Amino acid sequence: MSVTKTTGAKTIDIVKNLPRITLANLRPNPGAKKDEKHRGRGIHGGNRSGRGHKGERQRGNRPRLGFEGGQTPFYLIIPKYGYNANHSRRPQFPPLSLRRLQYLIDLGRVDPTQPIDLTQLVNGRGVTIQPLKRDFGVQLIDEGADIFCAKVNLEVQVASEKAIAAVERNGGVITTSYYDPRSLQVLIKPVPFLMSGEPIPKRLLPGEDLLPYYTDANNRGYLADPDQVQAARLHLAKKYGYTLPDITTDKLFEMLVQRKDPRQIFFGLSPGWVVNMADKKILKPTDEKVLHYYGS
Amino acid sequence: MTSAPRVHLTLEVTGLSSNMAASLLSRRTALFFGVSKLNSFIPAAVQQIANYNPRPLRLNIKDPYIPNKESERTPDWQKTEKYERRLFGRYGRASGTDPTKLWPSHARLEELMAEEREWHPPIEVMLENIAAREKEKAQRRMEREKTIAANMAKMPKMIADWKKQKKEVKQKQREEKIKRDKLLAEARERFGYALDPRSLKFKEMVAEIEKEEKKKRKLLKRRKKEEEQGLPTATAESSQ
Repeated sequence: MSVTKTTGAKTIDIVKNLPRITLANLRPNPGAKKDEKHRGRGIHGGNRSGRGHKGERQRGNRPRLGFEGGQTPFYLIIPKYGYNANHSRRPQFPPLSLRRLQYLIDLGRVDPTQPIDLTQLVNGRGVTIQPLKRDFGVQLIDEGADIFCAKVNLEVQVASEKAIAAVERNGGVITTSYYDPRSLQVLIKPVPFLMSGEPIPKRLLPGEDLLPYYTDANNRGYLADPDQVQAARLHLAKKYGYTLPDITTDKLFEMLVQRKDPRQIFFGLSPGWVVNMADKKILKPTDEKVLHYYGS
Repeated sequence: MTSAPRVHLTLEVTGLSSNMAASLLSRRTALFFGVSKLNSFIPAAVQQIANYNPRPLRLNIKDPYIPNKESERTPDWQKTEKYERRLFGRYGRASGTDPTKLWPSHARLEELMAEEREWHPPIEVMLENIAAREKEKAQRRMEREKTIAANMAKMPKMIADWKKQKKEVKQKQREEKIKRDKLLAEARERFGYALDPRSLKFKEMVAEIEKEEKKKRKLLKRRKKEEEQGLPTATAESSQ
């Protein structure tokens, strides 16, 4: 190492020699954290600790939000109408924009040479899915459709028409598929599930409310007829004015045609198998009854 | 299936014996080996890496706790099949769990199948249900549209009737007003002053006038009859 004298060169040397940034050598910025105040200490011991004098304010037992001291409150006077009826049980699909997907691919957080499903997206910290908060997967929205340029085999739960067009224009494949809450939990966090030693569950079919969506070829549903899906692909290409690239001659053809069975959760793993992480082994059942249950 | 993200820590140490580097890798290790002093001639980068304090592995791999099932002091939840599976998932074969216990028993499978039959109908049944519901909805809509069309066809006639009725009512009202005005005017002429239409005098007068009119009408009728009887003879005469 040559001896340098200028400040800039010294700085560059220091930066070159510093270790890689990891969570272990990061700390909050100076001034970002503030110590908690200890109220009522020292000479202020007998005072009110900044809570004012007497009453609900000082004792912290203020009435609930919307309470108007006993008179019928506003929120009960105004009649309710069904716009938000049943909101606590409606399935939620957090959005994933094409811009975000392109960003994840550009940063290498999601690998486009492999089929992309929720596991990849969650593993790359692209989306956050909370099955207990009635999340049923992601919806692909068309924001950034003009800049999207990756060729992917994508599996999402809901997709808009323009987003489908943007994926297929680049020679990609998109499927919308349903996961029941339990399968979704398994899919987004595979390792904790595999550590439990349970057999991989069978994916359930969507209910009668969501079934029409997933049997529709226009939504690229996983229960739709493949011929109809091909026809819909051509129709969409015509509608948006692009020529559909021929994926049969593609280098990634094998990857692009990979699709899951309607009962399958992971690529390459059938329901009923047990994956052991400690032994690095897969256990497949041979009992006929078990096979019958998981096979149907 | 994916593998969990792994952190690769590459360490390049040049000009140092591997033994020394190993002893400097972590403070915890350094304490273990009793090395208290760090050599000051080591580059800053290596020192920083040496100060890296890796998180200990919170997994007891060497001596896993396998509960004694016979013991009474073992908690009940550690004797369940679920716990057995969990042990297998964590330690693999070393846990001593029977791999056949990983899957539900035949009795449990029967239960699961019955549950599935009850709550998760096959796709064909669901599609049939949806089609039936759609059909019923469409039929109800059609019926409603038919009723609306039939009623709309009746509409022009109903509007015409309504207009006619209104016109008639108005006409009647107008006639009545004229008649009343006429009566009032006549009463005024007869008595010389404006009469209250509710008074007895006025009512008597109205009755009288009606009587006269009745008589007049009767007379008119009779004359008409006579004329009619006379007319055909007259026409017969003229034709002869």
